[in-house]
Amino acid sequence: MTDRLEAIGNDLERATGRSLRAHQRRRRRILTGAVSVALLVPGAAVAGSLLTTDDVERSMPAGTKFLVGTTPECETVKEGVEYHCTIHGDFTPEVADLKGTVEPSVDATSHVNGGCRSLRSDGREWRCYIGQEAVRQKIIGPDFLGEYSSGPGVG
Amino acid sequence: MIRSDAALISASRTDAGAFRELYDRYAERVLGYHRRRSGDEDAAHELTAETFAQAWLVRARFRDECDGTAGPWLFGIARNVLLHSVRRHALEQSARERLGMQIEPPPAVPEETWLDGLDEALDALPDTQREAIRLRIEDDLEYDEVAATLGTTPAAARVRVHRGLTALRTRLTKETR
Repeated sequence: MTDRLEAIGNDLERATGRSLRAHQRRRRRILTGAVSVALLVPGAAVAGSLLTTDDVERSMPAGTKFLVGTTPECETVKEGVEYHCTIHGDFTPEVADLKGTVEPSVDATSHVNGGCRSLRSDGREWRCYIGQEAVRQKIIGPDFLGEYSSGPGVG
Repeated sequence: MIRSDAALISASRTDAGAFRELYDRYAERVLGYHRRRSGDEDAAHELTAETFAQAWLVRARFRDECDGTAGPWLFGIARNVLLHSVRRHALEQSARERLGMQIEPPPAVPEETWLDGLDEALDALPDTQREAIRLRIEDDLEYDEVAATLGTTPAAARVRVHRGLTALRTRLTKETR
């Protein structure tokens, strides 16, 4: 391996080590927070009371670069878990066929809160899942949920 | 004992060293892939760094579809990094920014010619395998959805994807040697 590739590998190893340590700290904070909420609020009320369709609508462009500038409209399928979202107005994705494409969604605190799957080739209709349901739907991995996002992802 | 690529990716959920091992295993081949297309040594290194940074960020999405090897998955990411760079006329660097990695000043502006022959390996597959791979890997569909689209059974769809990936792995291994 060349010195230059070796240097990139060292940089990558340092960065991924930092990323893991930060992730572990966040997990501890989230777990602590979840335990606190569970003690204070009856279980069934948690998801519904904390999430609105407005939150989901904002989460889509916050998580995906090519949706930036769109204003999705979402309807509740299952409170706090599943939402059906449509995009109206100007929207021309650079990918020709978006059907089946999955993208993460990001909440107001810049953390991955779930993910959406495109139901149509033109990307105007999406089914979004929040929290563990997005993991169960294989839209995001368990380690990605709760990750900090510095900006909308590219794909 | 040598760990498979899939085992390294699984271990990398809690161990950055495991991902480094995967990098050491593939870095030269990924560099070769980008070098052949860009014809630019600096750009090829930047694209290689970005490929592995993106692989790290999406490693939780990796599914072992090819007997433990991560080659097709990594080259799929390399392809997307190249494609995004050419479309944006700037080298992709979002994953490295997110990880806080070093980014060298842009060495070159990506050109359309970098995409020449990009899908040669995929295009060489039979239509049925190529389409099955696109649906499963690029569109991330479940096997029953792939089967419904192709008008076949989930088991047959799984076989097509597996055979196609095996053929791709063989071809990419030859190409990158």
